[in-house]
Amino acid sequence: MQKVDNPYRSIEAKVLEAITETPTIKTIRFRPAEPFGFKTGQFIEVTVPGVGEAPFTPSSRPSLREEMEVTVMKVGKVTARIHELKKGDTIGVRGPFGAGYPIDEFKGKEIAVVGGGCGLAPLRSLMYEFFSRSGEFKKLSFRGGCKNPQELLYRNEIDGWAKRDDLNLRLTVDKGDPTWKGNVGVVTTILDDLDMDYPRAIAVVCGPPIAMKFSTKKLLELGFKEKNIYLSMEKNMSCGIGKCGHCRLGTYYACKDGPVFTYDKIKNFPSIWD
Amino acid sequence: MYYISSENFSKFLVSLKKDYEVFVPVKKGQQRFYQKFTAAGADYLVGEVRAFEPLKSFFFRARERVASGFSQKIPQRLERPFAIVGVKACDLKGFKIQDYVFSNHDYQDPFYLKLREANLVISADCTSVIESCFCTALGLKPYPQMNFDLNLSSVDEGYLVEIGSSKGKRIVEKYTLFFRQPREDLMSTRNRRREKIFREVEVQVKSNGLSNQESFKGVVEKGFESEIWSEEAEACVECGACNTICPTCHCFLLYDQQNDAQMERLRIWDSCMIKDFARVAGGANPREKLWMRLRNRFEKKFDFFPKVAAEFACTGCGRCISACPAKIDIRKVLKKLVDNAKSR
Repeated sequence: MQKVDNPYRSIEAKVLEAITETPTIKTIRFRPAEPFGFKTGQFIEVTVPGVGEAPFTPSSRPSLREEMEVTVMKVGKVTARIHELKKGDTIGVRGPFGAGYPIDEFKGKEIAVVGGGCGLAPLRSLMYEFFSRSGEFKKLSFRGGCKNPQELLYRNEIDGWAKRDDLNLRLTVDKGDPTWKGNVGVVTTILDDLDMDYPRAIAVVCGPPIAMKFSTKKLLELGFKEKNIYLSMEKNMSCGIGKCGHCRLGTYYACKDGPVFTYDKIKNFPSIWD
Repeated sequence: MYYISSENFSKFLVSLKKDYEVFVPVKKGQQRFYQKFTAAGADYLVGEVRAFEPLKSFFFRARERVASGFSQKIPQRLERPFAIVGVKACDLKGFKIQDYVFSNHDYQDPFYLKLREANLVISADCTSVIESCFCTALGLKPYPQMNFDLNLSSVDEGYLVEIGSSKGKRIVEKYTLFFRQPREDLMSTRNRRREKIFREVEVQVKSNGLSNQESFKGVVEKGFESEIWSEEAEACVECGACNTICPTCHCFLLYDQQNDAQMERLRIWDSCMIKDFARVAGGANPREKLWMRLRNRFEKKFDFFPKVAAEFACTGCGRCISACPAKIDIRKVLKKLVDNAKSR
């Protein structure tokens, strides 16, 4: 991991574009004044100067250093201000922090990516990485869900994914509308046909805690191993460097040891889904 | 080992003022507070017991400006290093935890490290015991054994001075005129006094039903689902005093603010007893109930730190006992946990 002199300092960044994804979610594309890379699954702290910081896993390609994107749901003080950003505005970014996905360990394996709601944001970055190394994996499946068709992130892009030969993709919404041709139901209802050698397959899950909880349960029933289920734990990550104490999860700090954990590492800790 | 007379020690403090802001414990009522040593003849005390405020406030300060705008320059304070006098063994143990947090890991905290390097710690043996003292239950002795630059043991009309670091050695060499070779009999005086205070703390620990830190191993895990937490949390008023007064508590909040010219990021002491401490913006809160937060405090001190740093994050200083308006007594909680673990 890179060492910096002052780990609390943000790097200045210029907003290049603010894209409205859904009524509650925007993607902010920005250019950091001092480019830095990240491993997919690592997160950054984004600040609206003077307002405060919030942690996001970039939704953009890890290989792109000059530009990055975060996809942000409006839920609190900082995210509300992020939603007001326009092209040319100044923000601050700090990171990357955490461990990220160990993609090299996924080589030669079957991989199921399961996402819900705004959880598709970090997973898009992961999918870009998978696509760029497509031949290295035995099989790639994507299962995405959200509340309704309007809340589906990256819809045009995902329509393109559906046409790929190297991806088996299914989507679901909790509640459909006349335009919706896909499955209706929670994301666990589209996991039965993953058709993988489950005890050896990898599952990557990211979404609201309730979706992760029931997806994990379902994946275990299918035969996935606890150590092969990768979960993105949403904790109050603030300093990003294992010091401020807010994101403790048992004997770990989500910010430095996670935020991606395999289920076996955290299953015995209390309140992991709260 | 050296000897310094009380008279020379006062002169030594005056000399130290050239290079340091010197802080000495001063007694006000029943409490001792660190106060700036202003001039020769100023009132101070070296022995007795710990000061009211924890030593951490000189190193991990309550409020630190950690970033100004996007500048790479580390914000500096325009002040001289501190020499803190009369620090007790319980506070020195706090360094073990604070050092682990701020200087370990992939990232280090430059603010803490700088103060740790610059400040001078002149510790002292405890020469009395107060009701809340229970350091021996955490494996400590009421006299410093590590993490000091110089240590003072009160003996006839002066102090035996032990050197604990190269920084301490340099100070003695620089002010060599004040120090003498000690009379041989002073060592036995020191040891006799130390043993007396140690026994007094031990008696107090036993009268509170505690033994040693071996007995604390695994008690939080075993008592995790017990009623102890809700019983103890009943009177808690969620003030966070136990956190701020604790020499090992290290949690902080990064707080951004904007002045006319630029943003500033402040690092401010935080408290895990406060409801929103672990809450995420989406609304989820892993420790919604007060008793969960009380349990979390004990989990951090008696389960997390032993597992990750092989140290209990408690020094037995008893400050949280004195500070709690609800009279929650860490010793009683520990005793309940030990009893609960035995009964299982």
